[in-house]
Amino acid sequence: MIRFVLADLRRLWAASLVIVLLVALATALGVAVTLQERALRLGSARAADKFDLIVGAPGSETQLVLSSVFLQPAALPLMSGNMLTKLIADPRVDWAAPIGFGDNFQGYPIVGTTTALVSGTTTGFSEGQMFAREGEAVVGSGVDLPVGAEVKPMHGTAGEGGETHADSIYHVVGKLQPTGTAWDRAVLVPIQAVWHIHGLGEDHDHEEAGHDEHGAADHDGEADHDHEAEAHHEGEAGEEHHHHGHIDADAPLDEDFDHEVPGLPAVLVKPKTIADAYALRQAYRTGEGTRAVFPAEVLTGLYATLGDARAVLMYVAYGAQTLVAAALMLIAVIHVAQRRKQIGALRAFGAPRLAVFGIVWLELLLLVAIGVGAGFGMGYGAAEFLAGLFTAQSGVRMPVEFTTADAALAATLLVVAALMAALPAALAYRQSPVEALRG
Amino acid sequence: MLPLALSGVAISFPGLAQPVLSIDDLMVPAGGRLAVTGASGSGKSTFVNLVSGLERPDRGAIRWNGADITTLSESRRDRWRAENVGLVMQDFHLFPGLAAIDNVLLPARLARAATAEMKSRAHELLSRVGLARPEQSVETMSRGEMQRVAVARALLRRPGVLIADEPTASLDAEAGAEVGQLLLELANQEGATLIVVSHDERLTERLDRRIRLADGRIVADTAMGASS
Repeated sequence: MIRFVLADLRRLWAASLVIVLLVALATALGVAVTLQERALRLGSARAADKFDLIVGAPGSETQLVLSSVFLQPAALPLMSGNMLTKLIADPRVDWAAPIGFGDNFQGYPIVGTTTALVSGTTTGFSEGQMFAREGEAVVGSGVDLPVGAEVKPMHGTAGEGGETHADSIYHVVGKLQPTGTAWDRAVLVPIQAVWHIHGLGEDHDHEEAGHDEHGAADHDGEADHDHEAEAHHEGEAGEEHHHHGHIDADAPLDEDFDHEVPGLPAVLVKPKTIADAYALRQAYRTGEGTRAVFPAEVLTGLYATLGDARAVLMYVAYGAQTLVAAALMLIAVIHVAQRRKQIGALRAFGAPRLAVFGIVWLELLLLVAIGVGAGFGMGYGAAEFLAGLFTAQSGVRMPVEFTTADAALAATLLVVAALMAALPAALAYRQSPVEALRG
Repeated sequence: MLPLALSGVAISFPGLAQPVLSIDDLMVPAGGRLAVTGASGSGKSTFVNLVSGLERPDRGAIRWNGADITTLSESRRDRWRAENVGLVMQDFHLFPGLAAIDNVLLPARLARAATAEMKSRAHELLSRVGLARPEQSVETMSRGEMQRVAVARALLRRPGVLIADEPTASLDAEAGAEVGQLLLELANQEGATLIVVSHDERLTERLDRRIRLADGRIVADTAMGASS
């Protein structure tokens, strides 16, 4: 029977190919949506893995997580720099590190932070070493810059009319191993350099400098700045107009944040224990001028939305699959009618009715099975492709992988196909051989 | 080798007043060779359908070797036909895309009756009908060759009766003569009762007996001379 079915399909290869393609495309749609959503979820969860607790100024929790964990550019409100001092001193904290953004280089975000964060969130260097001076930088594995390259920070992006800090240059001294997070695309520099470029925290020149928003405004127009003084608006990082300074490239690293720390958009906190994590969140969630979030918790909220989007897309996919199934039924019924003669002849020459049923059923099922198989391949390919695009853009590695749930989906599709193929097969089964031969 | 006996057989189709076929009494002995002739619409095809169990009459009995096939269910008749009847049709009904040998074996395979012995018999039958290349795909064959494949297929399961419906009508004279000759020879060698429905005088005159149908009735019944 198999031989006959195969010979038949070979003879009708063009029509068979079209059917396989139809089934494959309808299947691929659903598979791609499922895989992509799963990849997005797993990828973002893994990217947030090292980020236990984020403390920032009151505002959108989602934005705080997106900006600090996924380095999505946004104007975050600043919280008082004292908080960093407090957090570092807190006995429940293993380590805490500032995250300061605003500048970028060739599309890579430049993030000001400390050695504690770099060693706490990465697996080490693939090349070079940690920054040790103010003018040194460490790049993520996804940054296309060699050790020794020069980085000229630009405020805002070039496309948005950003400006370079012409007199400040970082030298790349190390490249990190890949972590599969957005930070793979970041240029990491000492936080003090970010402050200095923006004219903050130069407390060796000024009293009170960078103490808070107003403190920052205090040193406007000081002699050591080339730029015109402007009011510092509400402490927003990333605004168009701001103060300029320049880095003191050879200045040693100063990571004692026990005095006059400028305002900060976010602080990453590594609590000592899980209990400490909850206690800290409690303390800083309700505290004056701060907000503490677990990125994992914020992501869970986002996943619910993502799940809704997936559900909508899955309904679209189900709709497409239903349409294809209906089209397939039509083709199958017409096909059986067209082959009345052949089917009748099979019966006349002694093929049992069940064999006739089996041939029609098997032919259809085989085509659908090949289509579903190809659809899973195409869906996987599409998801991989999209994940690749996403990774290139964000740095977050997206694991596209099948689970047992997908096997259940494939099995469901095949069972439905098996049931539906039974209809044209039954038509063939019921056909009288005489009527068929008479035509 | 099966004897055939029809008694009181009649079949009508809806909308037609006259029965399409009505045969009160017809006997063919085991190993007998019967030719059926008649104009188109005279009931020849219905005769083939009835005696091969493809169709059931409204009344009457069709006994092969004493067993009345009109009492069998459709599935049982299918099985009976598969085991006892070799059919050769005007338009071959070979299945494109399959080799000659696979066409010969197809019905047996679909009935799960194909044994190793049957495969070697299929090869032997193909060489007996004069086809040297069993693996040749049937759509590359001439019409005469195709009908020979059909003859080999009909004989595969050693049927007790070989029924041919216009076996030469779609062949040219030469190929038709060859196929006719083969049918006679092989039915003889295999000891099968032979029923041939045909217009082809050169074929029908070589059989033992010839009946002529008109309007569903036997209007002439001639015993032919001892020939062939």
